Formats: sequence, structure tokens, C-alpha cells
Amino acid sequence: MGKLVWRNLTRNRLRTALTVASVGLALFLLTFLGSLLDAIEGTETSSESRVVVRHAVSLTFDMPEAYGNRLTRLDQVQAVTPLTWFGGTYKDQRPANFFPRFGADPSTLFEVFDDYEISTADFQAWRDDRGGFIAGQELIDKQGWEMGERITVLGDIYPLDLELTLRGVFTRADAPSAERQIFFHRRYLEEGLGNPGTVGTYWLKLDSADAVPSVVRAAETMFESSDAPVRAETEEAFALSFLELLGNVRLLLGSIGLAVVVSILFITANTMAMAARDRVREVAVMRTLGFQRGHVTWLVLLEAILVGGLGAMVGAGLAVLSIGALRSGLEDALPLFGTLEASPTILGGALVLGLAIGLLSGIVPAWNASRVDIVGGLRRVT
Amino acid sequence: MEEAKSASTAGGETLVEVENVEKSYARDRLRVEVLQGVDLRVDTGEFVALMGPSGSGKSTLLNLIAGIDSPTSGRVHIGGRDIGQLGESDLARWRHRHIGFIFQFYNLLPVLTAFENVELPLKLTRADRSLRRRKVQTALEVVGLADRIDHYPRQLSGGQEQRVAIARAIVTDPTLLLADEPTGDLDADSANAILDLLQELNRSFGKTIVMVTHDPLAAARAQRTVRLHKGQIVNAPQAVPAEAAGGEG
Repeated sequence: MGKLVWRNLTRNRLRTALTVASVGLALFLLTFLGSLLDAIEGTETSSESRVVVRHAVSLTFDMPEAYGNRLTRLDQVQAVTPLTWFGGTYKDQRPANFFPRFGADPSTLFEVFDDYEISTADFQAWRDDRGGFIAGQELIDKQGWEMGERITVLGDIYPLDLELTLRGVFTRADAPSAERQIFFHRRYLEEGLGNPGTVGTYWLKLDSADAVPSVVRAAETMFESSDAPVRAETEEAFALSFLELLGNVRLLLGSIGLAVVVSILFITANTMAMAARDRVREVAVMRTLGFQRGHVTWLVLLEAILVGGLGAMVGAGLAVLSIGALRSGLEDALPLFGTLEASPTILGGALVLGLAIGLLSGIVPAWNASRVDIVGGLRRVT
Repeated sequence: MEEAKSASTAGGETLVEVENVEKSYARDRLRVEVLQGVDLRVDTGEFVALMGPSGSGKSTLLNLIAGIDSPTSGRVHIGGRDIGQLGESDLARWRHRHIGFIFQFYNLLPVLTAFENVELPLKLTRADRSLRRRKVQTALEVVGLADRIDHYPRQLSGGQEQRVAIARAIVTDPTLLLADEPTGDLDADSANAILDLLQELNRSFGKTIVMVTHDPLAAARAQRTVRLHKGQIVNAPQAVPAEAAGGEG
């Protein structure tokens, strides 16, 4: 019977190919969006016990330097460190030369980012050189830098060019994407700008992830009446806002996915109904030969499931290929996407969804085919 | 039932017994009477032709005997079994075991080869692949198409397609062969060859055949001709000695 199902499937190749392609495209979209969401939500650099505090209006607004001390006094906050996004251009605008550059405070940076590793010698060398910077191992390898390497970063957000010397290397074993950035002295930036006394973001290390809600509430309440109210959020949520994917991303992507799947379901069901209608006479012949209604039902259902399964494989294959290509192109510009991959869970989900689309789309045509009146079907001119 | 068997026209065991069958269809608001009080008996080993003009009800009668349609009233017994008492699934199983159906337009599945078409009914049995292969090859040899097993229907002539259809009908060794205008779509030579084959199946293999035709030459190949007109049998069923039917056989 499998042979008959396959031959029926391939008898109108254009129709089958178009249906498989439409299912494949829908599942590609879902797989891709799902993987993207996973990459954003599960950014490997994120820590559940870190909170980011920034200006409530936008990331482009800075906060007063004095906020740091006040945040340190909040309950369940172990450490606070400032980070200011410098932006700028290193060598040229090519993505390969883009990497995050943060103005940081050496004395507190690794208290908050305690999952980063740096040798004591490197740390001291950086701490003692106001024009020094540290970089992640992966970035150093990629750029081919050596200790003492001097680099220039041209300012774009700030009217200041940074002349920096590589003084140390840090690693983070479980998150290579965290090794694609550099930290330099925020004080160096402050001095160059005439000591405005501002900070882009404050990063808080908490006692535990359970403390996040209360710390977020307390931090926002603390500055709500000031000239610079703040917004506090988890590192993961910050990553989302950083990417300007504001709003309920999951709901948005879920809605798009659902709409696509439902549309494809109708398209596939219509195609299967057409295919079953074309074969009414053959069904009547098979019934005359002694095939049961159940046989006919399964013939149509299996064909529909096969269409869905093939579509899922096409979609998943496309997703794997395009995600692979995209990751290699994006990881420089957006290190957060270093973890972008079509996980086995997502690919398995796509396959199950494809099979479900096939099954659901085949139910009505299969039922109708199984109820074909034999005599009427035999009279049918095909 | 015993009485019916003893009343067989050719003196043998009654295989098909149609008792006072009526069949009507509702078409729009009209009720169309297709068969009215039809009685028919066919003995085991008989070759019977059902003749009549278009709309006389001969195909409907054949469909009732095949169990693919049901009478409005009356009974159809095949091999002593009232097939009207069978449920949908049992009827399908019964058809598979006892009926070989030959259609006017062959009705081969276009996506399957000759071999696969003939093998199709055997898929419903427990026969393993090698047994199925032997049976299919035997059936195709009987119809003279052993060299066409890998051909698709579109690669065969009309006569060859009908031979494959006959092979499909006999491959399960059914009790009864039913043929609905089996030569209606064929040229004279192909039609003669098919009629020769049906006669051979009847004579050499003892197959009971009921054939619907409107062609007197085709009907002449049968041992007995039953004529229908406006849903009624218009002549008394007469047994014809086998040797007198279809002399060129």
C-alpha cells in the first residue's frame, strides 16, 4: 500500500511539489523564528541573577554616576558595576571589525561578571593602565592581536577617539559569544568627555534569581521621581530591548506562526480534497475489489501525512541551512546570535507540526473518499 | 434456499439466485423504477449473458449481484448467502473472496504497472510476496500478457488493458466473474479475443460468468442469454448446452 500512496503522491508532481513547498515554507518560517527567539531568550551570556538598570526613556539616555552607590545599598544586591556603550569604528565599517566596546570599572566589573575568567596578572595590568583594555579570547584570536597591541577606535556616539592598549584577556568557557567584546576604563572616557558624570547602564549582581522581582521594583521606585527615572530588567529582557525587539516578541512571532500554519492547513486540505476528488472512480474500483472504507481512509491520510512530513523536512532543512549561513554572518555584528541554531527540539517540533498539518488536512478528504458511493463512483468520468 | 437450489436452470447447483428484486432511484422528485420484480438463477459453471437496451437495468442487476449496490426490495443470494444481510465491512470482504469484476473501461489504476494492478486484490490476503508473485504471473499468463508485467496501463492497448483487468479479476480465484460490457470499448478483433478468453475461463477453469452486453455476437458466446426490458426479464431463462454456445471458442 505504501507504493500506491507514493505513486499517488507523485502522479501530479507539480501539485505535490507546490503543496510540499508551501508547507515547507511555512515550517521554515516557524523554525527560523523559533530559533531566533530561542537565541534571543536563551542568550548564553545571560545570567538569571543579573539585573540591568538603564534610563527609563531609552538606552541612548545616560544616568547620573551617583546612581551606582545608591543601587549598591539595595537589599540582596551583591555588587554593582557601570557599563557604557561606546560604539565607534575600528578600522572600517565591515561587520568583521565590529565588536561591542564598553567603558567599564575594573574594580567592580568582575564582581558582577563573576562568570568571566581573567588571570590576576592580566587584571592588574589592565587596572593599572588607564589607556588599557581587555578583550575576549575569541576576539583576540580572530583579530590576531597580541599583548600590548595598540588599537584606535573612532568615536561616533561620543566626540572622542580611543587609543587603547591590550593588557589582558578574559574567557568565558560556557559562552564563547561573550568573548567577542572589549572592556576599557570608563574613567578614560569620562575624562575625555570632560567628566560629565554619566553612565549608560548599571549591572547588578544579586544574591539569587529569586531576588530579581523585588530588586527591579526597588530600583525603579528609587528613581521614579528623579530627572532620570530608570528601568530595571533582567539581562535577558535587556537583550531583547537592546535589539529593539520591543513588545511581546513571543506573542508576535507566535501569532505570525499560527496564522501561517492555519493558512497552510487550509491550502493543504484543499489540495488533498482535489486529489481525492480526482480519484473517486479509482476508489470505487478499489472498493469493488474488496478494499474496506478503512483502507481508503488510510490511503488518503497517509498521502496527506507524507505531504506534511516532506514539507516539514524541506522547511527544517532550509532553516538549518539558512540559520547556519546567517549565524556566520551575524555573529560578528550581533554576538547575541552566537547561539543561533535550529535545536533538535525545534526541528522535532517542526516535523511533528508538519505531520499534524498533513493529518488534519487529510481527515475530511479521507472521510469523504471512504464514503464514496461505489456505483456512482464507477460512473464518474475521469 | 434448498428449493431455490433445486430449481436451477441447468440442473447444477445454483450459485446466484435473485428473488423478486426491485430497484428504484429517487431522481429529483421523480422515482425511477430500474428493476421490477426480477428473478434470476445462475448455476455454478454457467456463462450467462444479460442483454437489453440501454436503461433496461442490466448493469444495475449486475451491481446488485456484485454487492456494490443494494436492492430496494427482494433478495440476492450468492452461494446460498443472502448478501443483503451483510454489513459494509463483511460485504467488502465477501466481494474480495467471491467476486471478480470486469469493467467496460478496464479501470486499471494508472499509477500501477500491470503486475501491480493484478497484485492489488492479493494485498488484502495474507499471501506473502513470493506467493503473490506466483499468482500474479499465473493470472497474467492465463490472459497472455506475461511479457507485459512492467507496463503501465498507458503503455498498453485497450485489449491488453482489458486482459490485465481480467487477470486482476481472476487472481483471487473468485467464485463468480461479473463482466459489465467487457468488449464495449474494444475493436472487433480485441473484443473477440476477450470473449475467447472469457469462454476459456468458463470452460477450462469452470468459472461462473455473468456478462452484461448489448452486443448479440458477444451474447452468443454465453451458454444462456437473459433479456431485460424496462427493468423486467422478458424471456424465460433457458439453459443452452455448453457445446452450442460460441462455437469458435
